[in-house]
Amino acid sequence: MKEEIRDSFVKELQEIKKSNDQLIVLVSDSTSTCRINPFLLENPDSVVNVGIAEQNMIGIAAGLSLGGFIPVTANAACFLLGRSNEQVKVDICYAQTNVKLVGLNPGFAYGSLGPTHHSLDDISTILAFGGIDIFVPSDPEETRQITKYAINKDGPVYIRLDSFSAENIHGDSYSFQPGKSVVLREGADITLIALGTMIHEVLAAEEELKKTGIQADILSVPSIRPLDPEVIIRSLKKTGSVITLEEHSTHGGLGSIVGDIILENQLTCGIKKIGVPAGEFAEASPRSDLKEYYNLHKEGIIKSTLDFLNR
Amino acid sequence: MIICINKKMKKPNYMADFMTNPFNLSFPEIEERSRRIRKNIIRMNSRAGAGHTGADLSETDILATLYFHILRYRVDDLNNSDRDRFILSKGHGVGGYYCTLAEAGILNESLLDDYLKKDSHTPGHPVRQKTPGIEFNTGALGHGFSVSVGLALAAKKSRRDYITYVLLGDGELEEGSNWEAAMSAAHFKLDNLVAIVDRNGLQLGDRTEDIMSLEPLSDKFKSFGFEVTAANGNNPEELAMAIKSTLTRSGKPHVIIANTIKGKGVSFIEDKPKWHHKVPVGDEVYSAIKELGKK
Repeated sequence: MKEEIRDSFVKELQEIKKSNDQLIVLVSDSTSTCRINPFLLENPDSVVNVGIAEQNMIGIAAGLSLGGFIPVTANAACFLLGRSNEQVKVDICYAQTNVKLVGLNPGFAYGSLGPTHHSLDDISTILAFGGIDIFVPSDPEETRQITKYAINKDGPVYIRLDSFSAENIHGDSYSFQPGKSVVLREGADITLIALGTMIHEVLAAEEELKKTGIQADILSVPSIRPLDPEVIIRSLKKTGSVITLEEHSTHGGLGSIVGDIILENQLTCGIKKIGVPAGEFAEASPRSDLKEYYNLHKEGIIKSTLDFLNR
Repeated sequence: MIICINKKMKKPNYMADFMTNPFNLSFPEIEERSRRIRKNIIRMNSRAGAGHTGADLSETDILATLYFHILRYRVDDLNNSDRDRFILSKGHGVGGYYCTLAEAGILNESLLDDYLKKDSHTPGHPVRQKTPGIEFNTGALGHGFSVSVGLALAAKKSRRDYITYVLLGDGELEEGSNWEAAMSAAHFKLDNLVAIVDRNGLQLGDRTEDIMSLEPLSDKFKSFGFEVTAANGNNPEELAMAIKSTLTRSGKPHVIIANTIKGKGVSFIEDKPKWHHKVPVGDEVYSAIKELGKK
């Protein structure tokens, strides 16, 4: 059964709050963005709305953490790392406050609202900051596990949380491990690595690729930092070619991370990075159209794979 | 954490079950501490060859009044959850902060010799992971006020009675984030928050009123919902009276406009924009120390 992963996040917060009184949620007039109402109804004193003031939200979160709380901020990723960039860098990362930042509706989830609302640089921005873990869940169960892990961990965490309804793609025994990438399908012809919910498009493309005789290794990377490259290296050594897929700039995101792994480990591996090309804004258009334009949909993934393998 | 109480220090007194100021010095005694802090600032900055001398000297009396009369804390238990909190939002004034912490026995005075050196516990802006007694990392302006709002809100939500003090530079108030913080402090009725503005009228480039007018500053804070008190920020007695007047619980946050002289205590540094981050050299050091040595 499909579930919006923002709802999975809120359900987990409700669950954690039952045994952790220190949990407190901050929003910047983003109550509806993070769908926090079920939590708010149960815990009216544990949601702080600072109004449309993202810089202040991050500073207040840092202060609440110094006062013994475990603050979780939840607002649109574009404003979190755009408007309050320096507060995230200094008040959270540098000061090592125990704050969990949840960047909502990243990539071009806001579609037609345009580049003011797109977040194609959040991973590259926060990767350049020190001292913060970065997680990108892809389905309801993984969202709940990452939320739980982040709150139990002492220290700053960034969660890139999509507005996306999904079924669980991991088996019942799945256990999120920080640092570990996840092999969802095994094949020897090519490696397809996806960021967050993009994995659903890749899995949708897999059946068609099989019909053309292409067996793909399909990897999800829920833990951007820490990142143990072992699973990725093993796959790249096996297939010798990789396509990365992300609703993010191809500069500084998953594609750059995989490119660095190839370089640093001197792997012989071709790479194609699919995302929004470095130096470009995505247009103000519906998300589905943007996915199609950038080959981040099922058909685009099939075409890109066939082209890359000269099939 | 490195905690070393200077042997020459008068030892703090603690009442058994109450969090109090560990020194509770008289005003003449605070003035004497200020003089010693200022001498250390001059020595430390000239030795390091860098520092924000004007800012350090401007805030000295405010810090001395807080650490030797107002703030409730324990030198031997700096992380006690009931302690009053102090955030130096104008993080470039870290030299005055270190010298005050050393004077209070929170920081080993020998660490002042390491100011700005490689991997030292006394870097060029406050870092809570590195220096005993530092509550928060500042240096980028316009951050400390919001963090203090969070600390004061935490006290309200957890029903603790610590008070949060934040020292803001006047030039710093040009950063818009301060006014987001001010709006929220009033909205959340944080009468346990005391913002002190080091109103010396100067910033890096020139006079605040020539670069970006702050006046009428009191009216601005009043219109944001603050109780505002003005005081001579270089006079511990007047300052302490003003701060103590904030202990009433009116539902409103407090601002003390502490009117100061940048570079206070050394005549050739006082009220001169160029001394924002200039340090004394050669005969200037001798002259400054000699002047500060006067009663």
